Amino acid sequence: MSEMILLRAHALALYEEMARDDKIICVGEDIGPYGGIWKTFSGLQQMYGDGQTTIGGRVLQMPMEEAGYSLFACGAAMMGYRPVVEIMYADFSTLAFEAIVDVAAKFRYNAQGKNSLPITFILPQGVGAGSGAHHSQSVESWYANVPGLKIVAPSTPSDVRAFLRASIRDDDPVLFIWHRGLMMGKEDVPDTLAPEDVPALTNAAKIVKEGNDLTVVAYQRSLAVAQVAAQEVEAETGKTIEIIDPRVLIPFDKEAMFKSLRKTGRLLVSHDAPERGGFGSQIITWAVEELGTELKNNPVSVCGKNIVIPFNKLEDYVVPNKDELKAGMKKALGL
Amino acid sequence: MDFTKQQMLDMYSELARSRVLGELMKEYIASGKISGAIHPCLGQEAITSGIISAAKITGLNIYNTGTHRGQTLMAYKVGFSPFIGEILGRTSGANDGISGEYHLTDIEKGLIPATGGLGGTWGILDGVAWAIKQQGRTNDTVVLAPYGDGAASEGPTFEALNIAMLYKLPILFFIENNGWAMSTPVSKQWPTDNLADRAKGFGMQAVTVDGNDICAVTEAVINGFKLAQECIPNMVEVKTTRWEAHFLGDPQEMYRDTSYLQHLDEIDPLLIHEKKLKDLGYADDEYIKEIKAEMAKEIEDAFDYNLKQPLPTRESVLDYNRLYSNNAGGEI
Repeated sequence: MSEMILLRAHALALYEEMARDDKIICVGEDIGPYGGIWKTFSGLQQMYGDGQTTIGGRVLQMPMEEAGYSLFACGAAMMGYRPVVEIMYADFSTLAFEAIVDVAAKFRYNAQGKNSLPITFILPQGVGAGSGAHHSQSVESWYANVPGLKIVAPSTPSDVRAFLRASIRDDDPVLFIWHRGLMMGKEDVPDTLAPEDVPALTNAAKIVKEGNDLTVVAYQRSLAVAQVAAQEVEAETGKTIEIIDPRVLIPFDKEAMFKSLRKTGRLLVSHDAPERGGFGSQIITWAVEELGTELKNNPVSVCGKNIVIPFNKLEDYVVPNKDELKAGMKKALGL
Repeated sequence: MDFTKQQMLDMYSELARSRVLGELMKEYIASGKISGAIHPCLGQEAITSGIISAAKITGLNIYNTGTHRGQTLMAYKVGFSPFIGEILGRTSGANDGISGEYHLTDIEKGLIPATGGLGGTWGILDGVAWAIKQQGRTNDTVVLAPYGDGAASEGPTFEALNIAMLYKLPILFFIENNGWAMSTPVSKQWPTDNLADRAKGFGMQAVTVDGNDICAVTEAVINGFKLAQECIPNMVEVKTTRWEAHFLGDPQEMYRDTSYLQHLDEIDPLLIHEKKLKDLGYADDEYIKEIKAEMAKEIEDAFDYNLKQPLPTRESVLDYNRLYSNNAGGEI
């Protein structure tokens, strides 16, 4: 075990996968000598060559053309490569929307299921640096409405490492979304992760903490805040709270959530993305449809405000905070 | 470029087949047997037929997408009957009658799906071209990226041209300029005389030729393929006239002077090539009649055959294993 931050675990996963399969190529901005804006591509071009100038080169530093290089990566994937595309900020994927939504997501279906499109889009999202309206959004809900995509949203260094490897191995288009607010988060990460220990994207939910009276489904920054809030609510109320990190949003591990809800009968969902039309609404729909009157109380949603993300620390006003989560938990508990 | 007698005759066959396909598509769209936004290729036969002729003459493998009025090229790639099956929405279609025209895909045969908005297509083909270069296949394989004049104004078009030059890709960008993007004339799309001028800013070679003359189109494409094989991205613009309205039933008199309809004989690619064949003593009226009848039979038979084939079932449309690779079995 070595203690490492999320960004280092991310870099380690890329390094491990690049070494494993020479069909994997990296595509993105500043991923040459600079190693990418988040330094998650450090050293890769030196090791695996420049795909612009060299036959066999596997790291392609692209001009500032999210549409151009995302479409390019789709084309390379159609020809047997397995591109890993970094969009510097998830917000900038607006410029790659056609490539993700119309090309990658629909390719296999229109190709009669004969050809897959194994491409991983890495989308660093979320608040944390006070970067304002175009550098801080949480985007998973934009894409959850698109059949053909898988969406992976891990929170911890170990999970980023394991699930990035799993995403790259998956034969379908995967949006690998990590949260910038957690990028300096530290954890002990295994020194080696054997190929057979790389998880599947199915049944991926993790019980972060067991409890009997309320199920909290949360991910990324909201998950971290919910863990603190739950401790305090437990101390204040004597109730126990179960926390589930889905880790993968599509395919969502419904069974893990249903199992927990059959025990607790109460649900709270939380994410940073705006609540309206957000993925949390879908989670609640699944729960209500499955559990119906088995639920002891109405589900509660504590998500981002339906507003633009402001500059600087003001961003704290628009994403769930500890007090909001504590109030939501008490409401869900019927207190 | 001098073409042999056989090559010239083969070009005529391609033109004649494309004409019948266009005429019958128009007929079946009008009768409601073909649905969706399909835009007949009538009058623009020299373009797709010229590309097909160039591919046949050079013997190269071509990776390409379709485009707005490029049905003949897609049909050439997947086979005319499977293409017709697809646009009729039958299970005999190249993609089971489920994908439809623009999205027709057959990677093994080199047909890459186009995007519905069209403008993203060149970017995809850049990636295909990069793969071909990396795989050392330019000795016998190149990429052809066809567009209409409308798609050539989309933003990702310019990003694709840029990447092609930066990465020195084996790709020929091909613009079919018929003067109109739906109701918008080229004069409202682009500020210079030729759309090929787009290439200049990227340091890319480009030519503009007469898109109604199959010999000119074929020659330009053969030259473009040669450059592409040397990993010199280049552009060919062919100028033609849109015979039909944008889609069947489009009241184009609202925005377009339709006096061109009185002079179609002067720009008809079949008549232009017929005259050449006759002047060269390669063909007479009887030969031309025979070829037209032969092609009409082939295409009519394909329509008749496919119309008898079943429609896709609800189960085949809702097959989630077609959507996801991991035998999802159901919705995920």
